[in-house]
Amino acid sequence: MQDLALKDLLYKIADDELILGHRNSEWTGIGPMLEEDIAFSSMAQDKLGHSLAFYTLLHELGEGDPDTVAFMRNADQYHNCQLVELPIGEYDFSLIRHFLFDNAELLRFEALSQSSHEEVAKIAAKLKGEIKYHVLHANTMVKQLGTATQDSISRLQQSLEYALPFALGIFEPSTYEQELLDAGIYVGEAALQAQWQERISAVLAKTSLKQPDWASLQPVYGGRYGQHTQHLQPLLDEMAEVFKIDPTAEW
Amino acid sequence: MTQNSELIKSLDPRVTRLHIEEEPNPAPKPQLDQLETYELFLQKKEGQPYVYVGPVHAANEEVAFLFGKEQYSRRAMCTGMWVVKTQHVLVSGYADDNTSVYESLPALGSTPDAAEQAYEIFHLKKRGKAHQHAGTVTARSAEHALEVARQTLHAAPPVVNVWVIPQNQILREEEDKDIWATTPEKKYREAIAYRVQDKIDRFKAERQAQ
Repeated sequence: MQDLALKDLLYKIADDELILGHRNSEWTGIGPMLEEDIAFSSMAQDKLGHSLAFYTLLHELGEGDPDTVAFMRNADQYHNCQLVELPIGEYDFSLIRHFLFDNAELLRFEALSQSSHEEVAKIAAKLKGEIKYHVLHANTMVKQLGTATQDSISRLQQSLEYALPFALGIFEPSTYEQELLDAGIYVGEAALQAQWQERISAVLAKTSLKQPDWASLQPVYGGRYGQHTQHLQPLLDEMAEVFKIDPTAEW
Repeated sequence: MTQNSELIKSLDPRVTRLHIEEEPNPAPKPQLDQLETYELFLQKKEGQPYVYVGPVHAANEEVAFLFGKEQYSRRAMCTGMWVVKTQHVLVSGYADDNTSVYESLPALGSTPDAAEQAYEIFHLKKRGKAHQHAGTVTARSAEHALEVARQTLHAAPPVVNVWVIPQNQILREEEDKDIWATTPEKKYREAIAYRVQDKIDRFKAERQAQ
């Protein structure tokens, strides 16, 4: 049973990183300025690397090989939250999503680096430095643009309000929440969400952006167990297009 | 017969496409919302000198650091980064190859009256290479720092160019070891790491065997 619980946890992390990595790579070549284009693309590449680390661990636990798992599933077999599959929109939305997601991801990796599961703890400890940079990037840009001009502030505000219900979907409780907690593998989504809300609020407080009324937000759940928006399947089709021509090809 | 002026007209596109205005003082262009430039220096390993890696455009030095880290360290390990606004870099004159700028420093005149402060000195040993941190001096101005560097750093030639930067203008990102602890194996980010020639050769051999 604990095996299923562990795989459930690893799949959602790997799928989040894969799908957001792919989404953010769509900014390559069209970023708002050259430096940000390169930074955003580089972070997208980090995310694909993170997903590979967890797919590899899943493979060691008896799942399919990483390429097959990443490219050959249908949308309803993915465990990513819906936040990461939404189209990139304009830069303000992509930045807000990056801010909301990576702040949660850093907390997740910090927690997992203390996990009782040795392999998981090792991977999380190794990768959290990169996510720390992603968070520094997101927080700095949100502070900068959240205090810059009326245009930048109102764009970020609008994107924030749109993205927040989806962001709460990051913390959709797992079927195995209690088992993971009992085994000391993971601190659980509720604990993570409380810390995340504090960190998000602290950054927003340094900008001209208005804080959300947290109590009135309706989280968008479902992604963790295969319920996705209409945006995921087209992403998967494009991502796997070349791989599916000949899944047995050696790259 | 062709006129002389046409005879001497260059056919080199690098010259002819430069339609340089003959008017000595064209009206200033409207101020664009261009971002300022910052210069970045990287330390590859603990204890090694900081080396110049390049510039970025940014709104402030924190953003310059963010950009610099990804522009210049995403393909290799490093342990720290210094960021400075371009305008704070004093650039000395250039000396010929194999000579030293310090041999031909312009006379300083009197020592300036300003308070003493620390300056970081960077040397360029060869044209086409990067400036490298050579030491820290205490002086009353950037020009004064050049003079002090000449007297105290005892740099052997060649030093073809020197940069002087006030220490208090440098943003140093070296404390947080975690952020630099990225995966050391970054070959996958370079095209050269994807070796396909073996596979192409094997494919050709298989085709021929058929």
